[in-house]
Amino acid sequence: MDPTETSPRARRVGGGLLWFAALGGALSWTVHLFVAWATDELACASGHTTLAGFPVKGVVTIGVVLPALVAAAALATAWLAWRRTSAAAGEDDPRMGRAALLAVVGLAANTLFLAIIIAGGVSLLVFSACQR
Amino acid sequence: MTASPPPPGTLRQATRADALATEMPVGRTRGWWGMVFLIATEATVFALLLGSYFYLRFQSGRHWPPPGIEKPELTKAIIMTILLLPSSLPVVWAERGIRRGQPWRLRLGLSLTLIQGLLFLSVQASEYATNLKKFTITTDVYGSLFYATTGFHGFHVTIGLVMVAWLLAASLRGSFGARHHDRVTIVALYWHFVDIVWAFIFMSLYLSPRL
Amino acid sequence: MTVQTEPDQRRPEVAELEHAWHERPSLRTWLSTVDHKRIGRRYMVTAGVFFAIAGVDAIIMRTQLSRPNNGLVTPEEFNQLFTMHGTAMIFLFATPMFFGFGNFLVPLMVGARDMAFPRLNAFGYWVFLGAGSVMFISQFAGAAPDGGWFAYVPLTDRPYSPGRNLDVYALGLLFLGVSTTIGAINFIVTALKMRAPGMSLNRVPLFVWAMVGTSFMVVFALPALNLANAMLFLDRRFGTHFFDPTHGGNSLLWQHLFWVFGHPDVYIIVMPALGIVSSVLPGFCRRGVAAYPLMVLALVTIAIISFGVWVHHMFATGLPFLSYSFFSAASTLITIPSGIQIFAWLATMLRGRIIAGVPFLFAVGFIVNFVLGGFTGVMFAMTVFDQQVTDSYFVVAHFHYVLFGGAVFPLLAGVYYWLPKFTGRMFHNGLGKWAFWLVFIGFNTTFFPMHVSGLLGMPRRVYTYPTGLGWDPWNLLATIGAYVLALGLILVATGVVQAIRRGPAAPDDPWGADTLEWATSSPPRPYNFAVIPQVHSLHPVWDERSREAMATGDVLAGHRAVLTSELDGDREGPVEMPESSLLPFAAALGLLFVVLGLLWGQYWLAVLAAFAVFITLARWLWPPHRTPEEAGVAREGRAP
Repeated sequence: MDPTETSPRARRVGGGLLWFAALGGALSWTVHLFVAWATDELACASGHTTLAGFPVKGVVTIGVVLPALVAAAALATAWLAWRRTSAAAGEDDPRMGRAALLAVVGLAANTLFLAIIIAGGVSLLVFSACQR
Repeated sequence: MTASPPPPGTLRQATRADALATEMPVGRTRGWWGMVFLIATEATVFALLLGSYFYLRFQSGRHWPPPGIEKPELTKAIIMTILLLPSSLPVVWAERGIRRGQPWRLRLGLSLTLIQGLLFLSVQASEYATNLKKFTITTDVYGSLFYATTGFHGFHVTIGLVMVAWLLAASLRGSFGARHHDRVTIVALYWHFVDIVWAFIFMSLYLSPRL
Repeated sequence: MTVQTEPDQRRPEVAELEHAWHERPSLRTWLSTVDHKRIGRRYMVTAGVFFAIAGVDAIIMRTQLSRPNNGLVTPEEFNQLFTMHGTAMIFLFATPMFFGFGNFLVPLMVGARDMAFPRLNAFGYWVFLGAGSVMFISQFAGAAPDGGWFAYVPLTDRPYSPGRNLDVYALGLLFLGVSTTIGAINFIVTALKMRAPGMSLNRVPLFVWAMVGTSFMVVFALPALNLANAMLFLDRRFGTHFFDPTHGGNSLLWQHLFWVFGHPDVYIIVMPALGIVSSVLPGFCRRGVAAYPLMVLALVTIAIISFGVWVHHMFATGLPFLSYSFFSAASTLITIPSGIQIFAWLATMLRGRIIAGVPFLFAVGFIVNFVLGGFTGVMFAMTVFDQQVTDSYFVVAHFHYVLFGGAVFPLLAGVYYWLPKFTGRMFHNGLGKWAFWLVFIGFNTTFFPMHVSGLLGMPRRVYTYPTGLGWDPWNLLATIGAYVLALGLILVATGVVQAIRRGPAAPDDPWGADTLEWATSSPPRPYNFAVIPQVHSLHPVWDERSREAMATGDVLAGHRAVLTSELDGDREGPVEMPESSLLPFAAALGLLFVVLGLLWGQYWLAVLAAFAVFITLARWLWPPHRTPEEAGVAREGRAP
């Protein structure tokens, strides 16, 4: 096999990686918001501070830290994708130009979503789980 | 051959500019996209409906269903699941058939699905007949949620069956083949959606109160 | 700048194209047309009429509030007035008006001959017309919704709101939701599949990005409103208990569902307006909008984050602090993408060569007012401040700065900017400038004092107030402003009518702008583009190669359009476009009777009409008959 040729499988993975770079931060923020908010609000509304033995605050912390890590991974992927595709984009090359756009949009978007997750998550240091 | 270096790993290849710029999704029809977004918006309705179910359930106190109503009957729900979930398979088989230009597979597959869907609806009707003697949509919020959710899904199954029947009628007239099967693909997508939603409803409304 | 981008009309293949797309004017073609330009203009005119009626509602309210203890309207009438004013402005004016712009402009901007689903497009318009008519007719019948535009339960549930008023609200909005949803899906698919060859995602005009972002929000946000309204209708009519705490329901469920929809809806309204500003500025600054990738980023991230801020409408409802902080973070940081756009527009103006035409004035007016509205918005993102001023006139001032300043100003910029393309006529410049100054001064005189009266404690939605609370001068000022604003808006309408009746013929590209709609004639031919454009850059009309490709390329014959690939705009090939048809009108009429049947409690009528709708749809989608060879039936695969 020619080492310069890209296998169809690698192409699919590459296309998927670009989408992860573009939307990974957004998706992880969505998951974060859903898990952290739903756990906190539903558990507190029903008067519990534990969920199946785990403290609510612990579950919420996981709902902050894991998505933040995924968003950081998406940010790194976007940085790599942006470096590679913008270097390869020529003057009139719709395909590479489009890929570079998605990568640079992902770069900025992932930064923003990571910031949102962290900004909301620091309140864990201040509030107890069901404080009103 | 032995002198050339081994091909780079998939991940290394995939992070080349060339692979990153792979266009996907690509080459779908307008109708396919239209159905995908219709399903997206309908799936959101179901997600919010189930979200409302859990929101109200977790705020309603210790007992769910509320005192006076038994836990949901599983036998019929399991029969319904066994009828509905595999009904996607004949659709898949039919769709693959028409892609190869075999209308008989399309007709047979759609007929099977139609029968399964109709059986599902009749079991649901008999389940309603038993349940309505115990509680109705106005009894309390549990009744409202139960009938609204299952009824809304039953309505979707009905729509899906109308689409399947319509497709069957069109296929008997001979409109589809290897070159023209866009409508088959679109109806199939919708049917799969109706099917998958039932799995979520089954788990939320029938299984989870028993956990 | 005179650009010859259209091939000669006298060429025989162009004459043939004219014939293939021609619609003879008659009542039948009026009802059956699927031309996106005619449908787009209809959306705009209808939404304009609804705007005028809802504006009259506002003027009556301001007159009532001009002095304390006034008795112009009764409290019941006042409730209907503010509810219909809000509901109509949000649902029946803002979104349909921008959908009208989108309908007319998106296919032109992407170089297509029509929307992806032309018949569905016609259906969407007729449904919108039906829903709007039902809701406004209810106002003349004295049965208009009267529970506020967000219709909080338990007030709007039985037994507190008897009568048909809120049934009209729930059913009217469900009916309208059909139109909005399919319109949104149509925009997305048009933008995905109908772009001219070569228009990869990095060459898509910002207005199209904005319409797509809006449409995505509609697809995922509108279900929440529809579900809430369906539950409300079931509660009211059939005695379910979703919002009834005495039977295990919860009235906060309504608030959650409503604001899951409601906050994205603010952006559903404002985002197309942001797209209009990004379209207007290049023509009047003689350069493209600065930082295109960041503008795309702003639109995409706003569309996503808008779903994660809804709880900030409920900071006064007593949820756990931890829950608030997640939403507070998103509510605060969503200002970053909005800020990026503002700075990109300022940079565009700073580095451009400004020509202060009427559309430009409205765009600048937008920036000023929107920044003020955004500023008070940031104040609300702070939970502690929000709890002090919620439900006061401060909120009224804030959202009018965001919605009038943020949506109506760009809208008016867009009206003047594209009027030559919509009508083929130029407007009177002096009249336009007068209109701008009256609207700008009137708007600020109306709404700025409301900040003050709000901080002085005046609650919203009161039909009158006693004297001696320090509110009198601010209310009088606001009322005077409202009349000035109305005068300005009448001047806008006059300018449009004057242009259509007596305006000089418009050139194809009066502003020397960059996007593809300016490469068509004014108004465009029914097929838009004789030669399907080949796009080589983000600014095809400013780009030599794209222009040359349009002038010298081959005419695409027949009632056909070109499909391209989703991301990169690779040409996939021509497709036949649907002919005009009466079926969309028939289906919308059937749906109207479903709604009326439910509203009046005549369920047999609803069921009958639903059957009629199904039969119409089945006929509509029925595939053409094909021989086995055409369809591609395998010979050996025949059924025995």
